Amino acid sequence: MQYPDNGGYMIAAYVVAAVVVLVYAVSLFVRLRKVSR
Amino acid sequence: MMREKAEAMARRGSLLTAVALLALAGVYVRALVFTPVERFQGPAQKIFYVHVPAAWSGLLAFAITGLLSLLYLWLRDRRVDIVAAASAEVGLAFSVVMLTTGPIWAKPIWGTWWTWDARLTSTLFIFLLFVGYQVLRGAITDPETRARYSAVIGILGLVLVPFIHMTVYLFRTLHPDPVVLKPGTPSLPGDMLVTLLSAVGVFTLLYLGFLAQRYALGVLRDLKDEEAGRAVS
Repeated sequence: MQYPDNGGYMIAAYVVAAVVVLVYAVSLFVRLRKVSR
Repeated sequence: MMREKAEAMARRGSLLTAVALLALAGVYVRALVFTPVERFQGPAQKIFYVHVPAAWSGLLAFAITGLLSLLYLWLRDRRVDIVAAASAEVGLAFSVVMLTTGPIWAKPIWGTWWTWDARLTSTLFIFLLFVGYQVLRGAITDPETRARYSAVIGILGLVLVPFIHMTVYLFRTLHPDPVVLKPGTPSLPGDMLVTLLSAVGVFTLLYLGFLAQRYALGVLRDLKDEEAGRAVS
């Protein structure tokens, strides 16, 4: 079956979402470590 | 005592976040490899499995901030204010995912990254409202004044949440209608629906993990500020 060729957009969106979630998770981890010291 | 409780909450939050991140990896594999490609939109339709759950978690977080803001104005309990602020910050993180993945989907499907229609504009508006919420909290040092003023913004955000959901019905908009949160049965084939609901579940879990960690951070910061205040006086 023929699909529109737009897989690059899909990959870009998944990468952006993963980066934002991971950066926020790391920022929470770092801030918690800093305040717990 | 309060410190030990907050540290225990931080540990539970970290564990929940780690589990949710692993589950998110599973959802990525299911969405990208095992979920069928939609015939007309092609692979870009799969952006839906991160965009919709991020929108759900972001708006859920803002709604919870609003409800807790109401509760704070009633009870005047500092812990309620700290959870409200925590939920607002987590909501902003999910909103960034929503506001970046949306335009990445729109470009190949609509032919434009952005259009000023009611759904997109009101979503940007709630994002900016909660950016303002964070700026306000950073600018006020007195905890009670900070909590009271930010509660008012939180309640304004709560009013916006149902409005944003209804924009696709109230206005002529390019944005697709809801496929699950609507009257009647979900308008999505079984495989796609399972992937979407799994992603919504994982993003909700991620929200709870982040919220627990951010609440613990707020409590620990509060305690540190109190200790610093006592040391000065």
